[in-house]
Amino acid sequence: MSDLTPPQTATDSNAVARALRAALNEDWLATAVGLLLVALVLTGVIPTGLVP
Amino acid sequence: MVATEQDLAAPPAERPARTWPWLVLGVLVVLVLGSVARYLEDTVPAAAKGTGLEKFAAAVEYPIYAIALGLIGNVIVYYAGLRERIADAVRTEFFIKTGLVLLGASINLSLIAKAAGPAIGQAVLLISSVFLITWYLGGLLGLDEKLRALLSAAVSICGVSAAIAAAGAVRAKREQLAYAASLVIIFALPSIFLLPWLADVLGLSPAVAGAWIGGNIDTTAAVTAAGAIAGEQTLQIATIVKATQNALIGIVAVALTAWFAFKVEKDADARRPGLRQLWDRFPKFVLGFIAASAIGTWYAGTVSAAEAKAHIGVINDLRTWFLILAFVSIGLQLRVSALREAGWRPVAVFGGATLANLAIGLGLASILFAGFTA
Repeated sequence: MSDLTPPQTATDSNAVARALRAALNEDWLATAVGLLLVALVLTGVIPTGLVP
Repeated sequence: MVATEQDLAAPPAERPARTWPWLVLGVLVVLVLGSVARYLEDTVPAAAKGTGLEKFAAAVEYPIYAIALGLIGNVIVYYAGLRERIADAVRTEFFIKTGLVLLGASINLSLIAKAAGPAIGQAVLLISSVFLITWYLGGLLGLDEKLRALLSAAVSICGVSAAIAAAGAVRAKREQLAYAASLVIIFALPSIFLLPWLADVLGLSPAVAGAWIGGNIDTTAAVTAAGAIAGEQTLQIATIVKATQNALIGIVAVALTAWFAFKVEKDADARRPGLRQLWDRFPKFVLGFIAASAIGTWYAGTVSAAEAKAHIGVINDLRTWFLILAFVSIGLQLRVSALREAGWRPVAVFGGATLANLAIGLGLASILFAGFTA
């Protein structure tokens, strides 16, 4: 049970915090890239037939 | 560089150095495998025409090629000693979230509005019941409290993203997050093929099948793969249901933070979580998905039907590319070593909870999405 588990180390804490930050950053990046691509297609910058 | 799930599997001292050349090589590996998947999807059905494999080849969709090629690539880069070095390029979450934002452009905003009610109802009932069942099973088999929280969040909400959010909330150990992430992917892989097949065998309507797939398969990438295999309408409903579950991560993370601070660790100095934390944990790509739907709906109403169809078709092609890259990444990311270290108990808890999720999800989807039409 939990009593037998060693306490969380600073390395653990950093690794989990990095993973959390990465997930949050990827959320914004995916939103920006996705909406930018939608805008580029609808304004004709990416024409039909360009994407295989 | 940002951390990946692979970072969580080994302490920094045991990981090989990752540099820009390795990142470029990793991107090339993902792109080449994705291109081969796209090529096979385009050419195999035509090549198999008139042969005994014609029906089989026509039934194999791009997620299957992409995942299979990712798994083959995983074995090759592992034996070439490259797997950890190129790990930063294998960005399943980024590829899938971008693909889902692009998918939003082809979904009419009225469909999202119409499906939101049953989707929220299903998400609340399914998340709370499956979370509690997983928590109970974890206690029954004597799992550590933090691992129980991670597995409960992963099965009930949305796989790896929820496990990462829960790990931050309960201050879990790196190894525990690695176990949870590996379990999610190992259980999601067969679900991608089983659920569309079962939905067909059970004769579920596209809406019920989509709600079942969206509510059950843990990771968003696998939901999209299963939805794509089942059909476009099933994919749309599955995505709306999954996005709704994703949006509830913040609430569960905040509840877990408070529970562990005040009840489990009894930290008298802990600060009460607030609205800021809710916003921090909210998956922002859901906003992108809704914004793309609003833009697509507005655009379709302002230009001719032919022009709208052509432009949305290009966005759909881009969406398919991002989803292929995500599915290749799923195959490349699979790690079985973390499971060997975890032992049988977390696997049994996850398996039991998945079965409960399947049964409860089917019941809720059949009730809440009965008679639902786009």
